[in-house]
Amino acid sequence: MSNENAFLALADFLIPAHGKMPKFSDVCGYADVEKSLDFRIDLKPGFARGIAVDPATGAEARLESLNKEDGEAFSAITTIAIATYYMSPRVRELIGYPGQENVPYDSKATQIYLTNGSLGQVVARGRKYRPTPGL
Amino acid sequence: MTVEVLAERGARARRDEEVDVVIVGAGPSGSVAALHLARAGISVVVLEQGEWPDYADYTGARPEHELVSTKLWHPNPNVRDNPNDYPVDTSTTDINPLMFAGVGGSATLYGAQWMHFLPSDFRVRSMDGVAEDWPFTYEDLLPYQLEIEREVGVSGLAGDPAYPPRGAYPFPALPMGSVGQRGALGMEKMGWHWWPGSNAIPSEKFGELNPCVRRGTCLTGCPEGAKSTTDRSHWPLALKAGARLVTRARVKEIETNEQGLATGVIYVDANGRDRRQRAKVVILCANGVGTPRLLLMSGGPRTPDGLANSSGMVGKRLMMHPFASVLASYQDPLDSWRGPFGQQVYSLEFYETDESRGFVRGSKWNCMPSGGPVGVSGATGSKVYVAESGRFQDFWGANLHENVARRFGHSLIWGIVGEDLPEESNQVVLSKDLVDSDGLPAPQIVYKVNENSNRLLKFNIDRCLESVRAAGAIETLVSTPVRESGWHLIGTTVMGDDPKRSVVDQWGACHDVPNLYVMDASTFPTSGATNPTATIMAVALRNTRRMIAERRNQKVA
Ligand SMILES: Cc1cc2nc3c(=O)[nH]c(=O)nc-3n(C[C@H](O)[C@H](O)[C@H](O)COP(=O)(O)OP(=O)(O)OC[C@H]3O[C@@H](n4cnc5c(N)ncnc54)[C@H](O)[C@@H]3O)c2cc1C
Ligand code: SF4
Repeated sequence: MSNENAFLALADFLIPAHGKMPKFSDVCGYADVEKSLDFRIDLKPGFARGIAVDPATGAEARLESLNKEDGEAFSAITTIAIATYYMSPRVRELIGYPGQENVPYDSKATQIYLTNGSLGQVVARGRKYRPTPGL
Repeated sequence: MTVEVLAERGARARRDEEVDVVIVGAGPSGSVAALHLARAGISVVVLEQGEWPDYADYTGARPEHELVSTKLWHPNPNVRDNPNDYPVDTSTTDINPLMFAGVGGSATLYGAQWMHFLPSDFRVRSMDGVAEDWPFTYEDLLPYQLEIEREVGVSGLAGDPAYPPRGAYPFPALPMGSVGQRGALGMEKMGWHWWPGSNAIPSEKFGELNPCVRRGTCLTGCPEGAKSTTDRSHWPLALKAGARLVTRARVKEIETNEQGLATGVIYVDANGRDRRQRAKVVILCANGVGTPRLLLMSGGPRTPDGLANSSGMVGKRLMMHPFASVLASYQDPLDSWRGPFGQQVYSLEFYETDESRGFVRGSKWNCMPSGGPVGVSGATGSKVYVAESGRFQDFWGANLHENVARRFGHSLIWGIVGEDLPEESNQVVLSKDLVDSDGLPAPQIVYKVNENSNRLLKFNIDRCLESVRAAGAIETLVSTPVRESGWHLIGTTVMGDDPKRSVVDQWGACHDVPNLYVMDASTFPTSGATNPTATIMAVALRNTRRMIAERRNQKVA
């Protein structure tokens, strides 16, 4: 099995289609995976071990054994799979994630807690600290 | 002259020159000392093992953010694996210490939650019969706290009844997002204290700091240059005032003469060469792990147990604030990837001692957004979660999609910081086998979460669950004590009047070596339960002012 197929089999088991969400290989290609690995070269050795799959073993059994025997490889495979998936513009659109966006605001705008009385209640409950003069 | 030119000029070492003061560490505490000493006309060199931050390296605005930041900007130096940091031997600790090496120090990665200690924090022995009182009071420190807030550019709302009256914050509080409003709703339903978050993030342009645009990645470096760190708030001014900063300079030893007075330090420069910086006064600002490490490394034949350690207290009483977190998901959208991340709301409802709860002292809670889809999935670093639940399938497959749908954009996190009581068995020692990139011994942490902390966290988690459920939470996840949570490093060169029981006096001067000072949180006799940086910087300013005022009486070699 090629590296590509070996990884996509694992990734599709980890991230299958479900409801409106597509499976991994419907939205991410192996080029995306390689790009992710370039951001995290520290994961490359574990990743390589993780995809050195015995083709006879199914994805779930392979992940099960990696998880038990080679935590580093398991972590590399799963980290790359999930991060690559949620970087996909299509996936982001489906879950409504614009990324860590820039949202300017008016620092002088009156905050709702000042007008709806909620902060007033905190103040009305009175002093909470223990004063210490003379101690 | 630009900051870059000044920084470049300062970085050149001058052979055999003796300066008035050498400071180890360019984090919040070292930066305060450097700025104020330089302004007083005192010659200062600061040695910092890390480098100037490059804001282009902060990935917050880029799609790969969640992938890259979990390595490059991880707060645990052992995970980051950057040669500028020293590694930490964590084989004997329940909690990993977190820190960062660079101009700006660990605050490069801090949440910028800005809290003063409370009056009772300075009087725990008198009020609660535990640990020790501080040699000074809340009121003594308040003027320095307010001055530091103006230097840092803190935003917040005055009038919190959990504190004595104080002046206004320099900037209005950051806008409270849906996350903060939902957190506050739960507290309001319970009739408990909450207050809009105070943060070291100016809400308006301030000096070299840009206004925050709520990108929500403060804990992995602010790509906007909006979170206040001293590379922007203090260093441009300190360099103009004449302070010099040498980066990639790792101090390996404090030198002393026959009279036991400090004469300077030896450091390893960027090319791996040993250099000497002579100074009349040495100030350590290397944090609650780095400072005792350096003192322990500096024990020569005259002081085999470490410098300034005749009390035997160097490295002991490490406090790290055991921490728990509660993630709560709600049906309605909360835009919970959006910042500030910072604290949108905090609560001091359970801060003070109530013995009926079965523990002493208390906690501070802070309400924060839960972040991007990878983080809230609970699936990354799956090994950790799998070990707890037994089955990796719980986090993957259809479960992954369902967990993300329920949590992403719909959840908040309450962080619970508990006061950590000092115990001599919790300590920093030198590792016997682990070394840093210069071959110097790494610190080893010997630390157990104590029974008081366990009870405190359990009580607070139960209350927190009541609050989030009162506001309609449909799912809650608890993590306690969080192993990767040693962001507050306190207590390892305790201050006090008695040289047999303490390492430094109330001004940070070592009892054994009167021209050697400590100005970071190592000196704190107790930890409070609030985030400590405000107090660290205020105490550093108080000590520095005193040093300037007493300069003619300073004993030097
Ligand atoms: C992830 C995270 C989140 C945090 N969030 C908050 C928060 O929201 N609010 C809050 O108040 N606090 C927070 N903190 C804590 C805050 O960062 C620290 O309290 C603060 O940075 C301490 O300042 P310092 O100057 O004493 O030490 P540091 O900032 O740790 O600086 C010490 C400096 O000394 C240098 N150094 C150490 N040893 C040597 C040596 N031998 N030679 C040369 N240089 C050396 C280090 O490289 C470092 O730059 C957080 C910390 C972390 C890690
Ligand atoms: S929330 Fe504000 S301070 Fe934090 S990273 Fe975003 S812009 Fe910077």
